[in-house]
Amino acid sequence: MDNLPVKNTRKFKTEEHYNNSSSYHLLPFRFHRITSLKEVLVNEIGDFLLVPIGTAKAIITKSFTRNENEELYGDLIANFFISETPIPELLDVLAVRYRTRKSFLDYFTSLHIFVITLRCEHTCHYCQVSRVNKDIDAFNMQKHHINAGIDLMMKSPNPDITMEFQGGEALLAFDKIIYAVERTKVEAQKYNKNISYVICTNLAPLTDDILHYCKSNNILISTSLDGPDYIHNQNRHRPQKNSYELAIDGIRKCRETLGEENVSALLTTTALSLKYPFEIVDEYYSQGFRNIFLRPISPYGFATHNDKKNKYETSTFLDFYKTALGRIIEYNLQGQFYREDYASIILKKVLTPFPVGYVDLQSPAGMINNVIVFNYDGKVYATDESRMLAEMNDYTFLLGTVEDSYEDIFYGAKALELSEYWLNETLPGCSECAFQGYCGSDPVFNYATQGSLVGFRPTSAFCQKNMEIIRYLFELMDSDKRIEKVFKSWIVGRT
Amino acid sequence: MGLSMLELLQLLKRRKVNYKIVDSTIELLVDESIYSVDVLHKCFYWYSSGYDITILRSDIADGCLQVQISPKNKSNEFEADCLISRIKQDLIDYKLRDIVTKETQSIRELIIAKAFAYYNLDTNPATDVSDPVGFNPNHDHVNG
Repeated sequence: MDNLPVKNTRKFKTEEHYNNSSSYHLLPFRFHRITSLKEVLVNEIGDFLLVPIGTAKAIITKSFTRNENEELYGDLIANFFISETPIPELLDVLAVRYRTRKSFLDYFTSLHIFVITLRCEHTCHYCQVSRVNKDIDAFNMQKHHINAGIDLMMKSPNPDITMEFQGGEALLAFDKIIYAVERTKVEAQKYNKNISYVICTNLAPLTDDILHYCKSNNILISTSLDGPDYIHNQNRHRPQKNSYELAIDGIRKCRETLGEENVSALLTTTALSLKYPFEIVDEYYSQGFRNIFLRPISPYGFATHNDKKNKYETSTFLDFYKTALGRIIEYNLQGQFYREDYASIILKKVLTPFPVGYVDLQSPAGMINNVIVFNYDGKVYATDESRMLAEMNDYTFLLGTVEDSYEDIFYGAKALELSEYWLNETLPGCSECAFQGYCGSDPVFNYATQGSLVGFRPTSAFCQKNMEIIRYLFELMDSDKRIEKVFKSWIVGRT
Repeated sequence: MGLSMLELLQLLKRRKVNYKIVDSTIELLVDESIYSVDVLHKCFYWYSSGYDITILRSDIADGCLQVQISPKNKSNEFEADCLISRIKQDLIDYKLRDIVTKETQSIRELIIAKAFAYYNLDTNPATDVSDPVGFNPNHDHVNG
């Protein structure tokens, strides 16, 4: 028996094999300090480890040994931070995981925004869009432009398409919406597309006929609610000063007819809103919403004309965000499900292997790849914000007109030029950032705020906001396991 | 403005990063074999919003790079000790990041190349896949 050769198996290796692993090879990962005690390591596929400060240094300088901390060593191997072979045996798994992270690119453009009219009966000081209240057809999308837009939409390789109607106030041109939906229904059958319809509206012009049409065509309603009446009515001017009342009444009617799940609301945070984080969170809850999207004002269009009301430091917004987030977490800790959407988008990227279809936090950027805008005048823009710049006579992100060919718009010279700037993997300040995989690239924001498509991270509001929110989410998860549980419930959508 | 040779030699014996404050400008002398030009650029990029940064090859010390850091707003006084301490920490961090970037460059390229090469969406097998254990609830299986 003693002479029998030692049989090597794949499953069981000798004890020496495991003890002799003081030399290892690094795999791509990045790190960032979370608190004075902890840092986070994030690998190429977005998996993370929260470790004591100094761990990254020990790992990278190879002064870390397996004997020093067997559990961490095991975590580092299992989570693809280090490898015992120069090329990891599970390289294919890493590649598939990477591919999954970028799977939002698989089907190309999904969201097609039709700016169906520029007319609006509100005069909001922060409006990101030029608006006209003249009751003339010149500011509505013309039928031949609608037709051409639908033709382009049908050429998208994506089988699942969202057709979103925006304004101005989209409901002021409801006849155009009906025309567009009816035509799309026919075309979608021809091209085998699943279409989700969304109307963005302040709900003021809502009628029973509109509601019934939405009901029979499964059209979702996305509206605006800026908080209690004293905030909403201040932000959203109407001559009758009743924007809040109309929005609340409209939300109720939409829920009754369309069902709760088919009505959503968006918050715009103005300088006034920053004083009322608790009140805004409580208002959404008391109006029956179980989610809220705490988003700062966009630096475009009319929003830039009123500095006093609309410009605020990013740090002030972050204070507001953290206070409001704390309030939302309180609701959850008391047993109520109530989700903050921006955090949920980031948390899904942090805690799952999957990407999120949110165009402002993607790399490659959401522009063109995931969203395209057909303006009321037939011009095609890379993003919603791009057409807002165009209303300020800046046509940097104009891709063409709806009458141009699909190839010229989506793969043309302008799209190619913009593609130089839409990867955060290649941007200065982002290329070695630990949060790269959780964040995104937004050339339109860079251009609008800093005059450069590349942007300048040290003063970028986009960078400052996202770095701090992502860091803060890690800090919260690390500080209290109950909060981590709440965050996980936001991803799966239940308590 | 610059350091004297004697000062420089004394400092180099003690540290890898040396500095001197002249007027309101900090002059750093950095050993290039420790901190490459890449590391310096990535590190001081983050200081360039508040400071004018100049990175040049030292003409008084071989193998050294000189970094001049002066506040853009001259009336803004800076806490030199605090700033130097932050710079030193950042230099170490960016050096560590540089090590990872360079050491893992080919693995990273491999991962990305494999992720996107020869990728077919929804490739269905040409033949039926057998399911003897009955994992697929839609399959009829013998013991079902």
